[in-house]
Amino acid sequence: MWNRRKHLLLSSLSLLRHISSTPLLRLHPLKPSPLLSPSNSFLPPIDSQLRNNLLDLPRCGFPRNLSSSNSCSSCWNCGAVGPTSGAFLACGSCGAVQPVDSSVDYFQIFGMKKMYEIEEGDLEGIYKDWQKKLHPDLVHSKSEKEKGFAAEQSARVIDAYRTLKNPLSRALYLLKLEQIHVDEEKTVSDPDLLMEMMEMREAVEEAKDTQSLYEIQSKVKKKLDSWSNSFKEALNKQDFDSAVNCTQRMKYYERALEEITKKL
Amino acid sequence: MLRLVGKRLVPQTQVQTLGTPTLRLRRRYHERVVDHYNNPRNVGSFDKEDPTVGTGLVGAPACGDVMKLQIKVDQHSGKIVDACFKTFGCGSAIASSSVATEWVKGKHMEEVLSIKNTEIAKHLSLPPVKLHCSMLAEDAIKAAVKDYESKKAKNGSSDASSPKVAEA
Repeated sequence: MWNRRKHLLLSSLSLLRHISSTPLLRLHPLKPSPLLSPSNSFLPPIDSQLRNNLLDLPRCGFPRNLSSSNSCSSCWNCGAVGPTSGAFLACGSCGAVQPVDSSVDYFQIFGMKKMYEIEEGDLEGIYKDWQKKLHPDLVHSKSEKEKGFAAEQSARVIDAYRTLKNPLSRALYLLKLEQIHVDEEKTVSDPDLLMEMMEMREAVEEAKDTQSLYEIQSKVKKKLDSWSNSFKEALNKQDFDSAVNCTQRMKYYERALEEITKKL
Repeated sequence: MLRLVGKRLVPQTQVQTLGTPTLRLRRRYHERVVDHYNNPRNVGSFDKEDPTVGTGLVGAPACGDVMKLQIKVDQHSGKIVDACFKTFGCGSAIASSSVATEWVKGKHMEEVLSIKNTEIAKHLSLPPVKLHCSMLAEDAIKAAVKDYESKKAKNGSSDASSPKVAEA
């Protein structure tokens, strides 16, 4: 009886720690008693001021931008401590899906180093492994709370997979992680760049047969690869202006490739 | 059972359309945008080297759009007598540049510099996410005028030097 209470107290404490990263979970901080009666139903909602106070609570004392943020993550269901490295999306002990921790970036989800060159072939395997644990279809017999977590985690893993798989989106994501803000509204008027793109798009439009389209496609792919390498070098040198410039060019080449694919 | 459900559904949709005749249930392109896309005005190219032609070439790197807007200017009056465009981009970008070529025709160069992207956007009922397309069109107009002026200045200076040579 006492052991059970102790176990419940421990899990309630770990639950409180997760409150700030779990918008779905609503809880009154000054009334711990509801936690001690285990139930899978929705807890009563709290007003916004209390919620703000909750968000100000110290979170295990680690800064948000630390790469491994799992030093004090533990399962809300069984209290088991999460892994010391790698993303804690589902509990290794009881299998419960964990709430989304947005401080965990996409590279951590896939257990990859935060860099532009990654093993693209490995992505699919890891993605499928995660979905075997997180997919909403697998939790339809679980609680509403866990279903909510599964929906969010699964969606986040899909986002991560798509972002990392495509070189341009991976590049832009890396810039975002470096807090480089690219002004989307800005127009460019670099005449050389624009003339090249204009001529490229005109060539695609005027191409009369698939042979010429394939020729243009291979030329554009080569340019994309070359600028992709330039991006990698610029990022390594922390030359963010050049890096942004590279991504802009890559975007234009990708658009041209999309148009070619449509025509083929 | 199905028929009953069907019958129940029909009056509901009828009420919806009757009660809210202007409700757009899905976000669509405005009919003006569709019109400009299907019947684009002034698509084409002028000779870039022509001294009466100003070429504005602008791009939006975020979406990979390219827009070329050209104006033909009457050198004596400074009026824009003709305009054409070529745009690779979304429907809103194409429509914005098409509208721009229509609006600049018959106007003086100083006048067209005051055409604002907000006017184009309002005319086409562009949603917020497509406002940058109208900005692109405004920038294209300005670039075309700037190009013409710089050409004029270059030609003007070369004309100024030749009489001296003739005198000498």
